[in-house]
Amino acid sequence: MIGGRRPISGRKPGDKRIRVERPHTAYFRYSGPGQLTAKAAASAPTTTFGRARVRLKGVLLGRPLANEEEIGERLSKKKALAIFSSDAISSSAYATEEIILAFILAGVAGAAFTLALPVSIAIAGLLAIVAFSYRQVCVAYPTGGGSYSVSKANLGRNFSLIAASALLIDYTLTVAVSTSSAVEQIASAVPSLDPWRVEIGIVAILLITIGNLRGLREAGNIFAIPTYLFLGSAFLMIGVGTYRILFQGDTGPPPTPEVVEAMSHTVESVGILILLRAFASGAVALTGTEAIATGVPAFKPQESRNAATTLMAMAVILAVLFVGITFLASSFHIMPMENPKQTVIAQIARWVYGDTVLFYLFQAFTALLLFLAANTSFAAFPRLGAVLAEDGFIPRQFAFRGDRLAYSTGIILLGTIAALVVIAGGGSTHALIPLYAVGVFIDFTIAQSGMVRHWLRTKTQGWRRRLSINATGAVLTGIIAVVVTSVKFFAGAYLVVILIPTLVAIMLFIHRQYTAQAAELAVRDDLVFDRPHRRQRVVIPVNGINRSVIQAVMFGKSLVSDPAMLQAVFVTTDLDEAEQLRDRWERQLPGVPLVVVESPYRALVGPVVTYLDVLERAWPPDQELPTTIVVLPEYVARHWWDRLLYNQAAKRLKSALVGREHTVIADVPYRRSEHREEAEPPAPSRTGG
Amino acid sequence: VGDSSTPQFRRAVVALSGGRTDRQIVSLASEIAKAGHADLVGVHVVEIDWTLPLDADVAGRDEAAQRVLDIAEATAEASRFKLETVLLQARDVGAAIVDEAIERGSDLLICGLPFRRRFGGEFAVGATIPYILKNAPCAVWVIREAMPEEQA
Repeated sequence: MIGGRRPISGRKPGDKRIRVERPHTAYFRYSGPGQLTAKAAASAPTTTFGRARVRLKGVLLGRPLANEEEIGERLSKKKALAIFSSDAISSSAYATEEIILAFILAGVAGAAFTLALPVSIAIAGLLAIVAFSYRQVCVAYPTGGGSYSVSKANLGRNFSLIAASALLIDYTLTVAVSTSSAVEQIASAVPSLDPWRVEIGIVAILLITIGNLRGLREAGNIFAIPTYLFLGSAFLMIGVGTYRILFQGDTGPPPTPEVVEAMSHTVESVGILILLRAFASGAVALTGTEAIATGVPAFKPQESRNAATTLMAMAVILAVLFVGITFLASSFHIMPMENPKQTVIAQIARWVYGDTVLFYLFQAFTALLLFLAANTSFAAFPRLGAVLAEDGFIPRQFAFRGDRLAYSTGIILLGTIAALVVIAGGGSTHALIPLYAVGVFIDFTIAQSGMVRHWLRTKTQGWRRRLSINATGAVLTGIIAVVVTSVKFFAGAYLVVILIPTLVAIMLFIHRQYTAQAAELAVRDDLVFDRPHRRQRVVIPVNGINRSVIQAVMFGKSLVSDPAMLQAVFVTTDLDEAEQLRDRWERQLPGVPLVVVESPYRALVGPVVTYLDVLERAWPPDQELPTTIVVLPEYVARHWWDRLLYNQAAKRLKSALVGREHTVIADVPYRRSEHREEAEPPAPSRTGG
Repeated sequence: VGDSSTPQFRRAVVALSGGRTDRQIVSLASEIAKAGHADLVGVHVVEIDWTLPLDADVAGRDEAAQRVLDIAEATAEASRFKLETVLLQARDVGAAIVDEAIERGSDLLICGLPFRRRFGGEFAVGATIPYILKNAPCAVWVIREAMPEEQA
């Protein structure tokens, strides 16, 4: 074998051939002229600990996916409906309850039985307007980003950052609210679990986080079935309940004392403000409408069209569910109960299905859907984070994708903050709702205002009709944003009012930092760089003469053409030892000046750094300062436990020199195994540190 | 083509020329080999002319030659099949391929034939395929590229 070529004889004497080794094939593949593609083995760990870590990660998250496998990660409409719509659809599980609670807290509980339905129909009307508006967004902005993209293109940077901040808060609260509500559904069916609501919520968030870190496609498979099971059982409940109300005159379960008292209040006592509050509370049903517009790139081609179709399907399903559940709650005279916790939807299901397995199945599907609704945010939050990171408003690592093509940083951050919010809210949905609605409606208002500007700017076919839809939506959602903020300000909305400008300020700060760095590093396009314009000087701190030092000196010599620009520095407390070293140095390393620095205070790092400063000061002021290359001989330890024994002085010196102007640090590692066969053993010498 | 229940080959050598047919034959061979749990070896030969010693450092530095095998390997991987690759340099391409197939105990040799007409006349088969057909002790499949429509 000569240089990776092995001669092999053929059948005939003249048919000799040479088999050529291809050492790159295990790790790389030539994919184009001058272009290599790394294989998985190229990034495989080489240490035992590293391999164990990768194996554990593989068990938890699955095997790493290559970029070209991404196309398989795109979602079909059916799967996307389950993933992106679970947030919106699941809000029907608590939106009705929030309307009823608004009447109860205003002291007109009885009005809930007559006015909740008209309020829910009005909200469904608003949902239609918002859905039509976002349908336009899907088509006009196929790259995703939803409100952020719309406002960035039409309203400028500041509005887009407000929208982005509101969205990030919205997605985080979606996880917290959906999880809390899911746990309440479980507690409604199994009251003994009520004390463990927070813990159950945190475990659920952890599992969903891991599921999403495994990648979107698998998340879709896990989550699609429960969404459709909930839809089936909820529509069955609405159908059966409506039939019993209309054709059998069913008026619900025997009234509790609270219901009897509530029914004694008259509708005439309800003012417009209470109605607005009820409307604002029930409008949480609209949360999640944005998610599909944000996730357009996750759809299979044609992305825009598929996203728009899915969005409209979601809106119809949500409207029917929400109005249907409110109709049943009003007709059955159902009010939420706290002790023990009985949600409105759980009471409806118990009345319609009875205390049978169907009721428990429905509660399980509802809880599952709500847990999975959190997944909507786990799909949308990291995508928005990636868009923001690419635009330089949040750290760049949010744009990097992990082994499974998921935006791991965004997923982990979302899971962590949402878990903290669940803990802070004590696992209560109602406690979090005031924070939730504010961001959602600020976001809707900005998005729809952006679309108004879009139509005014582009004036494409049918722009007047589209503009009127978006303008109506913008005005209505704007009013609701103001109402929600004012009526729930002290209940928690103030936190969002503080948080949004804070996030905007942070994002602007990060953007300024990135912009300044880019300007600092920018290179003019017309310049040609053919040779270094700075001279180079090499300084080698040494601790004597040994193989490691000789290797470093030889390397240093190769860096400079002018021998006057190379010198070794020996810091010592013992001048006699220094003189002995000098004699030997001049004999064995002729032509390499050795500078001895006596250090009576026994310091090592300080004298070396100061010596470099002095060298710079001594440089002719009319010439550009040279680049100082500090070559550090380094003995490579063979085991993890003996690393502490070596190179401590070099490490301290390195720390002192990092970031020093015009200074480059070059480590020259000496590996014992490479030189073991050399005949002469090294002369005894002091080792560094 | 024999009974579909028995493997059509145990080990096949696929001769890769770096031409248009490489992807097609590797893809086809991979699918068949996968179904029959057979082995597949992709061979590319860099011809060394008489001005250079046979063991000159040519193929190892030839990025284009490496690319021929890497692309074949990637094509096989797309069919979820592992293709072994061999890079050779020789005076005669046909002889090197046949000798490699014999040494590896292959029972099939697969070659691709791009459709081309030279000098506006005869359909050009070249020298390698006739050599293989004449000298290979195992079965040989020659997969010719389809004719362009205007010539069909």
